[in-house]
Amino acid sequence: MAIVSIRGLTKKFTGAAAVDDLDLEIGDGEFVSLLGPSGCGKTTTLRLLAGFLQPDAGEICVGGGVISSASHVVPPERRNMSMIFQSYAVWPHMTVAQNVAYGLKFKKLDKRQIDAKVAKLLGVVHLLELKDRYSSELSGGQQQRVALARALVVEPQILLMDEPLSNLDANLREEMRFEIRRLHEEFGITTIYVTHDQAEAMATSDRIAVLNRGRMVQAGRPAEIFDHPRTRFVAEFVGKANILAGRFDGENRMQIDGRLAVRVTRNPDQELTSGEASLCLRPHHIVLTADQSEAEALARQDYNLFSGVIQRRIYFGESADYTVDLAPHPFSLRVVGAPSRLYDRGQRIFALAHPEHCVVISND
Amino acid sequence: MKFRTGLFVLASCFVSVSLARAQDAQLAAAAKKEGKVVWYTSLAIPSSTAISHYFQNKYKGIEVEVHRNGSQRVLQRFMQEAAAGLKNGDIVHTSDAGHFELLKDKGMLLKFMPQAVAAFPDGFKDKAGFYYGMRATLSVIAHNPKIVAEKDAPQTWKDLLNPKWSGKMVTAHPGYSGIIMTHVLALVNVYGWDYFRDLAKNKLHIVQSANDPAGVVASGERPVGVNGAEYFYYKTLKQGNPIKIIYPKEGVPLVVSPVAIAKDAPHPNAAKLFTEFIFSKESQQLLADKEGLYTGHPEVTYPADKPKLKDLKLLPADADELEKRNAEIKKRFTEFFGA
Amino acid sequence: MPASQTGTINRISQTGWSAVRFNDPTFPVWIGAALLLVFLMVLPLGAIFRASLWDETGLTFNRYLEVFTNQQFLKAIWNTLIISTSVGVLAVIIGALLAWLVTRTDLPWKKPIRALVMASFVTPPFLGAFAWTLLAGPNAGALNKFYRAVTGSEEALFNIFTMPGLIFVMALYSFPFVFSMIANVCELISSDLEDAAEILGANKWRTAWTVTLPLALPALIGGFILAFLHSLSLFGAPAILGLPAGLHTITTQIWTLFQYPPRLDMAAAFSVPLLLATMVLIVAQKKILGRKGYSTVGGKGGQKRLIGLGWGRIPVLLLVFGILSLSVFLPYWILLKAALSKAWALPLTWDNFTLHNLSFTFFEYGDTQRAIYNTFKLGLITATIGTLLATLIAYITNRNLFRGARYLSFFALAPLVIPGIVLAVGLFIAYTRPPLLLYGTIWILFVAFLTKEMPIGFSQAESTFKSIHPELEDASRIIGANRLTTLKDVTAPLARSGLIAAWSFFFIGVIRELSAAILLFAPQSKVVSVVIFDLKEEGQIGVIAVLGILLLVVSFAVIVSVQRLAGRDVVATRG
Repeated sequence: MAIVSIRGLTKKFTGAAAVDDLDLEIGDGEFVSLLGPSGCGKTTTLRLLAGFLQPDAGEICVGGGVISSASHVVPPERRNMSMIFQSYAVWPHMTVAQNVAYGLKFKKLDKRQIDAKVAKLLGVVHLLELKDRYSSELSGGQQQRVALARALVVEPQILLMDEPLSNLDANLREEMRFEIRRLHEEFGITTIYVTHDQAEAMATSDRIAVLNRGRMVQAGRPAEIFDHPRTRFVAEFVGKANILAGRFDGENRMQIDGRLAVRVTRNPDQELTSGEASLCLRPHHIVLTADQSEAEALARQDYNLFSGVIQRRIYFGESADYTVDLAPHPFSLRVVGAPSRLYDRGQRIFALAHPEHCVVISND
Repeated sequence: MKFRTGLFVLASCFVSVSLARAQDAQLAAAAKKEGKVVWYTSLAIPSSTAISHYFQNKYKGIEVEVHRNGSQRVLQRFMQEAAAGLKNGDIVHTSDAGHFELLKDKGMLLKFMPQAVAAFPDGFKDKAGFYYGMRATLSVIAHNPKIVAEKDAPQTWKDLLNPKWSGKMVTAHPGYSGIIMTHVLALVNVYGWDYFRDLAKNKLHIVQSANDPAGVVASGERPVGVNGAEYFYYKTLKQGNPIKIIYPKEGVPLVVSPVAIAKDAPHPNAAKLFTEFIFSKESQQLLADKEGLYTGHPEVTYPADKPKLKDLKLLPADADELEKRNAEIKKRFTEFFGA
Repeated sequence: MPASQTGTINRISQTGWSAVRFNDPTFPVWIGAALLLVFLMVLPLGAIFRASLWDETGLTFNRYLEVFTNQQFLKAIWNTLIISTSVGVLAVIIGALLAWLVTRTDLPWKKPIRALVMASFVTPPFLGAFAWTLLAGPNAGALNKFYRAVTGSEEALFNIFTMPGLIFVMALYSFPFVFSMIANVCELISSDLEDAAEILGANKWRTAWTVTLPLALPALIGGFILAFLHSLSLFGAPAILGLPAGLHTITTQIWTLFQYPPRLDMAAAFSVPLLLATMVLIVAQKKILGRKGYSTVGGKGGQKRLIGLGWGRIPVLLLVFGILSLSVFLPYWILLKAALSKAWALPLTWDNFTLHNLSFTFFEYGDTQRAIYNTFKLGLITATIGTLLATLIAYITNRNLFRGARYLSFFALAPLVIPGIVLAVGLFIAYTRPPLLLYGTIWILFVAFLTKEMPIGFSQAESTFKSIHPELEDASRIIGANRLTTLKDVTAPLARSGLIAAWSFFFIGVIRELSAAILLFAPQSKVVSVVIFDLKEEGQIGVIAVLGILLLVVSFAVIVSVQRLAGRDVVATRG
């Protein structure tokens, strides 16, 4: 039973629509990311959810009751939600403990109960020893954990997070991703998470909603989004992709560049008729071999076969990034290969991809 | 028979005196209930403060709230408040007799005659009984003997027109001071406006109050004062400052400063009591002794080093004329002197 | 913040960060504050226009005609133009020179210099003018006496009771405004630009002339306009120094029109050109300086290195302290001397020493006692209520709480265009008749001071809120606090030091205000500035000096306390 229901949500700023007719259902306890580039409307959507903005059209329902519509907005303080901000928004004039305790003032608890809850949450985020410090004495990561404790201690129905990790440096970001996911699994609060970082979305979310220019482009579980992107935009935004233009026959084949026939799969619930389309092939899904017999064996198993020349190789230690030139075809493939078997520039190579990984996508 | 008449006269004197005393006590009691009297006055600050202290010492429990400003400003204040329907001031006292004709005509004064005034000369009494002269002074010439030797000093009003005094003289302003307003009218009546046109050519330093020239002359800022309140010059001299007062033989303007009670006075009994007080011999003698003023009280004696009024040629001013020509005097003076 | 976030936030803040709707229970507070503000500003202006344009017969332009044909009025207008222009130029020269020296060179003792500039700023111009009458009256003035003693000349060195004298004194107390403005700009000019010039061969002075100066030119023009406007609205200095020389300015002329028999309609008519001129100049200034109030001059680039003055250090330092002695040391010294002397013009020997002035002022003279009480009462009330109102309005405009909220800042800043005496004329006309009879009480002074000082209080409140990240408030709201509780628990503590500063600006502005008070006071509601002015007309030098020193001591005490309080505070910065 969906606990948050967004229907036809629209918000315009000076004429242009920041959020355009958005529909999204979020289930109880689900962790959903709103993923997209800057200006796609994800922050606006989040602020509409929080009640800081009023929709121009559409509505937001929680548990069946309308909390935001074009005519009425329940104010943020009465929506039973919590929010984490990119700037941490830890109040500098209060200690860590006071920050966390603040929301409990409105719950009519006595001091003993408040102190107990605060101590518990601070323990959960591993900040108990710092409870009497001020934000100016804390690092970014510590401040964000204060924000988390503060948001969770009031046991909200819904937790909103607005790019909480963008201001942290890379290592910390990774660590915090796991922390956020761990906390979600421990508390089970419905969470809506805004980010422009697809790795972050993939690592934390149950489902991802990809937004572009105020509209929802695709929503689904991370694997779905990654393996079966619907549009070129999604394919390129979420992970690296080779996008090849061609003609789709409506069933299971595509003609690339008029000559190259490729066996493809398509999204089961996506309507795609024959015509102009694109092929999406992830660099990780391509197998490289210089051995002809190996290539032929894979081809007999239905793998699509491409032959070409290694044009460039960048060695990353954990992997090697190749660009394979598929002359005489006017395109090349990016391939990510294992570091154990390295191929050199100029080497003739076979690149093989299973039809499962050759996904037909629409052209926008 | 004579004895019986004498006894009768004595008895009635006794009775009237006791009656008077009883009335006084009644007035004092009513005044104490009111608690204060508000006095709008142009009498110099040290003098008006001193008077208020004398009164407060004598009648404990009645505060005198002194609001001191130049005569013209006092009137402005009083009129402004009346126009706004505010009843704040009990007693009005300026050195411009014209003000009191104006106020009387507008019905803004209370008819009240203090007991002591009966013996005052006519120049100190309003025939209709609304206002009386509390004090009198002269407008005189003064110079700083350290800078301008006595033999070189100007002796007459006309002497002041001499170009050698250019840049060395100070005048007060009729737009602020009642004394100066009276002074200007008196001289205009004798010499005409041309006198002031010529005087202005000597680039006088302009101050506002008739008491200010004393400080200017004593400090040497400008060694000659072409007008100014004689009582204040005298006081400044007595404090040890270098001042010499000249009483021109052609005539010295006499300025009688009237005082009256406002018709809508918020503390009428205190006002009456205060008025009685300032006309009493005790108070008037204080004015003469400590403040260098002349009074209308026939029993008051004056310091030996002050000229007697009867020895001077006085230029009195007519209250009606002062009222009628008030605006004209301000306008033309400003025209000649610039501000 | 990454560009994406800033972009969204900017877009949102253009139309409503978190707009208030009618069902928000805190709505009446905001609307109430807004309406009060509009009422305060509109009423006096409306009164002036009505009084100057209408008479018993209907609409008339007679009075404006009289303003521009009457010889005396025209002279006053002409004097004002000359004086203000000269003051503007002089203030820019002094202010810009000092600002450049303090921000761009290695001049020593910068902190004391800045403190002295601040002291010049805090000194009320009428008090400075008064002190200068004691210093440079042509015959008795201390400086002239000294000059005559030293040179044996008969002449005075400098007669302060002249137009140049008036211009000189007004410039001394206008230049601090220019100093602040130009110092801000100079701080932003990157040394790279000057280095480039030096590499190409220009020496220090040439660089200053050809590179720094043109960059600062908009700020110089802006500073000129500011000083011009400031001198336009002064009343005390022209009255003290100009009237004795027969010079009227527009402000003193308006004051004269209030004397009996009063011509309020003419005073109103005379006020309008002054008002229009001020408006035009402020608009021009904004256009020249761009929206931020100073030109952004390659703001972020490069370091700032100081120009070495070399052997010039000592002479320049002497020059700077010489200038500052004119506005601070000499006047303060003469005031102290006059306060403690029986005869101010004579040397302060043991004979001449007295404490009588002090006892008279504080214990004997009812007027001064009353005035001191009124002044501080008004200062406290106006500062407190003013800060409250400014805070609410700044909050409304900064968070854009309802449609059109932005325009409220216009009303809060509008009094800048209204010279104090013009405001007083309007208030006098509006409030001396029933039903709004405030005249005669201190409340008409309260309204005048509140209106007049609102711009500076509001600006301070506004920049305080700008420095508090809106997300700090959002975090509070989402967790359960309504708007007002958030204001109390989060915003107010963070805004504390900024708002204390706003309070102090209000307070200091009120206790030294003269040009509006001079028209609106009644005997019971006199304030210290008015008493000083009155006493000047009486020549009570010692008492004036005591009162003047009191004003200065209190002002400095407030400033020092505020700095202490603000320093201890935890300042909120954006995440």
